[in-house]
Amino acid sequence: MFNQLKARFGSGLAVGVIGMIAIWIIAMVVLPQLLMVDYSFRPNLLPADIGGPKDVYSLVNYQTLFTNKIHLEIFFKTIWSSVLVTGLTLIVSYPIAFYLAKVATPQKAALCLVLLIIPFWINEILRTFAWYIILAYKGPLNALLLWLGFIHRPIRFLSGDGGVLIGMVYAYILFMIFPIYNAIESLDTNQIKAARNLGAGWIRTHWRVVIPHAKPGIATGCIMTFMLAAGSYAVPSILGSPGSRWFTQIIYNWFFEGGDWNQGAAYAFLLLVICIGFIALVMRVFKVGLGDIAK
Amino acid sequence: MDSSVHLDNVVMQFGEFTAIQKTDLQIESGEFFSFLGPSGCGKTTILNMISGFLEPTHGDVKIGGQSMRGVPANKRPTSMIFQNLALFPLMTVAENIEFGLEVRGVSKAERKKASDRLLELVALDGSGSKKVTELSGGQRQRIAIARALAVEPRVLLLDEPLSALDLKLRQHMRAELKDIQRKTGITFIYITHDQGEALTMSDRVGVMSAGRLQQVADPITLYRDPHTSFVASFVGENNGIEGKVLSLNNGMAEMDCGQLGRLQGRVHNTVKAGDQATLFIRPEHFRLQAEDNMLTIPSKIEEVNFEGAYLTLNANTAATKLAIQLGAHQFSESLVAGADISLSYKVEDAIILGAAEYV
Repeated sequence: MFNQLKARFGSGLAVGVIGMIAIWIIAMVVLPQLLMVDYSFRPNLLPADIGGPKDVYSLVNYQTLFTNKIHLEIFFKTIWSSVLVTGLTLIVSYPIAFYLAKVATPQKAALCLVLLIIPFWINEILRTFAWYIILAYKGPLNALLLWLGFIHRPIRFLSGDGGVLIGMVYAYILFMIFPIYNAIESLDTNQIKAARNLGAGWIRTHWRVVIPHAKPGIATGCIMTFMLAAGSYAVPSILGSPGSRWFTQIIYNWFFEGGDWNQGAAYAFLLLVICIGFIALVMRVFKVGLGDIAK
Repeated sequence: MDSSVHLDNVVMQFGEFTAIQKTDLQIESGEFFSFLGPSGCGKTTILNMISGFLEPTHGDVKIGGQSMRGVPANKRPTSMIFQNLALFPLMTVAENIEFGLEVRGVSKAERKKASDRLLELVALDGSGSKKVTELSGGQRQRIAIARALAVEPRVLLLDEPLSALDLKLRQHMRAELKDIQRKTGITFIYITHDQGEALTMSDRVGVMSAGRLQQVADPITLYRDPHTSFVASFVGENNGIEGKVLSLNNGMAEMDCGQLGRLQGRVHNTVKAGDQATLFIRPEHFRLQAEDNMLTIPSKIEEVNFEGAYLTLNANTAATKLAIQLGAHQFSESLVAGADISLSYKVEDAIILGAAEYV
């Protein structure tokens, strides 16, 4: 890469560009992470004791999670709910992506994309608050459902995980739609016509032709949505109830309320490692390679 | 089984634009029928109407006498071979061929039998487990044919499937398609802009221009007896000489061709005395020596090309340029650029057609 840049822009600029990227990655990504790894293996001590005889490396911080039943439960609930969010987002996004890529005229597709993107110009917290209002016990959604006669008394959307799931599907829908849209758009429309022509109904056409082609896009969308959902803080803290805490909230508490950075760092790494492991497993099951995703 | 296709007064409009003018055409069961025309003439639209991807604005498509109105593409007894073949790249060759049977709920063993039999038909036995991407262009072509035949269609639709192949392979595939059609007895409807393909393979050809069927005839009639100026100039090489019709007499007409004087040719009943018309003479109908019942056009040779079996000449006349094709044995030293020659043709070999004639 250095030689290419040098050939094109001269060595001065090449050193500058590479240097800045290196500083960015090392000083702002790698070193802080290493510091956190270091923290996670050391006990939480008073400033006077740091570097003293009590400051030894151990796995105690990691063991805490497995001895705390409540934390462990929230941890697995976070993973499971993120799977649920990913699944729901996929179900909502796939038809939209297919419509945009293959059904809509170019003008309509452009309009829809703009309509999808505009809400994302607004800050995530504000959008989540909007859902807080919509889903409130005496909020507009309940009022509408009551007026239409679908329900006889208001639903408590915001107790339990319902509100969090809805908020997250909304927050991450674009991360799912765009990769799937790109993947489906690259499918030759004649493939769909050929499947229809050979007698396939719509479900089989999607199952055998469109989805296999779009698999890398679906995988990319699912990975992004899953990682974002598992690592989300704003949505669960606004739309969640005390009974539906997210693991990120526990991590936050260790850092900023417990003041125990060492314990928080250990929890954060456990979440990261389990998420990566989970994704690797799912990719293995669905036979998606890293190369497919990078396309 | 009746596998005739009847385009029953179909019209296809896209908004204000009429892609297919009112067309009524009967394609017989077991016929090899080609639609020939330049791109944009509406031939693909016709194919899409027969296959069910488009529903005609007016009229009806009937297959085997049954109306196809409201029948979706996946329920029609047709099968299509796409221009780019549209094989499923993520499936093996056998899976591609068996797809249509899988859809119909045929058991795995039966499917395997069918795909083996079809692979044999297209001379690719034993390639079932290969990936589509491992095959050459010609092999893919044959897999597309096998896949389309697997569902035992009554009508096979072919959308310029040979256009991506090189010349040699194309000629070979023509013979093979013709052979498969004879063996299976399926109605073939073939779309092409290549007149060579249409003339060599088809029982009948429909020539299309601007959404209108200009003439439907067997290839020989189409070549010898075109009904419109478009057909005369689109099918095969032709020389057109403009002029004004002077008189008609018993299927013959005399034309005033300006500086070329008065020329005669066969005529169709739609031409009247006083009409502007074009006299068409094919390059191979010119002779260097005049015989009885021949007319002569004086001209000057511009260029001589020796093509092996035959010669082509380009010649200038007082009014227009002419292309001439002679057998190689007629070559003589005097045929050089700049030489004056007199070109003769038999009156019955020339045909006079009006500017705006339609069948």
